[in-house]
Amino acid sequence: MYAVETQNLVKRYGKTYALKGLDFTVNPEEIMVLLGPNGSGKTTLLMTLATVLKPTSGVAKVMGFDVVKYPTKVRQILGISFQEARGFWRHKPAEILQFHAAMCGVKKSERNGLIEQVLREMELWDARNKLFMQLSGGQAKRLEVAKVLVQNPKFAIFDEPSSQVDLRGKRTIWGKILGLKEKGVTLIVATNEVREAEYLADRVTILDQGQSIVCDTVQNLKDKITGGDIVELELEHVENDAAFQEELAKIPGTVKLAPLEDNKYKAYVSMAEAWVPKMTSLCYERKIRVSSVRVTEPSLDDVFLSFTGKKLETNENA
Amino acid sequence: MLDVLRLVWFDLKHEIYPPVWIGLQWFSFTIQIFIYGALISQLVNIPQIPNYQEFYAVGFVVMMTFDVGSHAGREFVEAAHEGRLPYLLSLPVSRSKLFLSIALKGGLELALMLMVPFAIILALIGNLTVLSVIAAAAALFCLGFGVAGLMLGLSFIAFKSSDLYVAVTTGLSALLIRFSTVLYPLVFLARASPGYDFVAKFSPLTYGADLVHLALGFDPSMLLNPTIAVAALTALAVSTLGLAVFLLGRLVEGVKSG
Repeated sequence: MYAVETQNLVKRYGKTYALKGLDFTVNPEEIMVLLGPNGSGKTTLLMTLATVLKPTSGVAKVMGFDVVKYPTKVRQILGISFQEARGFWRHKPAEILQFHAAMCGVKKSERNGLIEQVLREMELWDARNKLFMQLSGGQAKRLEVAKVLVQNPKFAIFDEPSSQVDLRGKRTIWGKILGLKEKGVTLIVATNEVREAEYLADRVTILDQGQSIVCDTVQNLKDKITGGDIVELELEHVENDAAFQEELAKIPGTVKLAPLEDNKYKAYVSMAEAWVPKMTSLCYERKIRVSSVRVTEPSLDDVFLSFTGKKLETNENA
Repeated sequence: MLDVLRLVWFDLKHEIYPPVWIGLQWFSFTIQIFIYGALISQLVNIPQIPNYQEFYAVGFVVMMTFDVGSHAGREFVEAAHEGRLPYLLSLPVSRSKLFLSIALKGGLELALMLMVPFAIILALIGNLTVLSVIAAAAALFCLGFGVAGLMLGLSFIAFKSSDLYVAVTTGLSALLIRFSTVLYPLVFLARASPGYDFVAKFSPLTYGADLVHLALGFDPSMLLNPTIAVAALTALAVSTLGLAVFLLGRLVEGVKSG
């Protein structure tokens, strides 16, 4: 059974479709990263799974519970860190976590210790008695993540968990998300940050205009790009035999071969890990000595570009 | 039920600690009644009202009730806009418990806000039975819930434009208060400005004010028929709250939150 499953899920706001018949699955205990630009339907999908929004049509299930028929059951197993940490302006982080933990059924005897631990881990201990409105953007975002950590749910949703957070904070948050996975939690992380996706994902679903374009592991997605890997090859000596270049170009997976200098080549290949051994065998047979091989993998940004024809809008370059 | 109480307290405690807003409301009520009310009562001469200050004080409490009810409705809309509502909607409680907690919080806020002003008017009027005090308090609560429901019912405007919502509710509030019998009885309005009394019958505040005045012992001959007032007020509370719950059920979960 899938931990999360949607079938032909549609969400419409007036005449605008945020989700257009989305079919989507998440396996138990995996981190599924939703990658897509703003407006691709990521947040709408997450809000629907969290029962905050009702779908217009189609089916969405969380741990087997239909989000429309059993919304309270879904909410009982769900923890969500919202994209925008807003709301309780006059409350303090410690009391927000106290309230949240109590509402989510954390035992009273465990609450104080757990909250202190999470506040310290998220570097919010010193800010625990500040008003929410006095927190920095990064602190507010870390508090949003902390709510899920005190709750320790079976299924967790993180909507752009590290946006507005500095690099050190990002590492902390990512570490906590991976820690939840180790505890057996199923997670969905929505992001438009390539680095975050690569760091966290077991699988990535690329969303664009409310539809799932492709879903696979990061490595498989990269391998799916025809000619996505770049191999830069340098030989010890100049090789004048034209037949060598022809044979190099005939190696399966070669999309394009470009001689750079007399002893340097640049090959655009589909799977470098399969191409490089064949290239070295060829060189060995021809007694050609290779001085260096440099392989460059495509980034998820390249993957996104390849599948959607668009550049991914990231926080780094926005 | 513990969840409901937690939700109510989490939201309400910051209204009380520190109780600045409530304290200011009580203070302004006291000033208004004992200075302005005392002065104006020297000027107003209505045969059925021997002491206009008392009528004025009750009317002022009705206006406060309207304000608190409006505030509760507007606050819910604010919660949707500030991102508090999606969070509340994601908590592991049923929608009915969540809406109950919002209604309870509104009721408690109303009770807190009116506690001192109500005690002042009871002391000012004197000679009241327990039944009349309960009837007056019940009428105020009914009006408060009705107004909160009205503001919630209008919340669909806020999902199009929060500016338009503020404009509509502010304009409506001004009209409902001005064209009502809160400060002057219907017979006086009919005599002083014909036509004004007809329009006043469309304001829910007229029914609330007349019912409270009646319960607190004012001359029934200058007030609306109490049966009609009770019916109108009950219809307002039930219909607007019913409409609000229906609209919220359909709209809140269908409106983009981010």
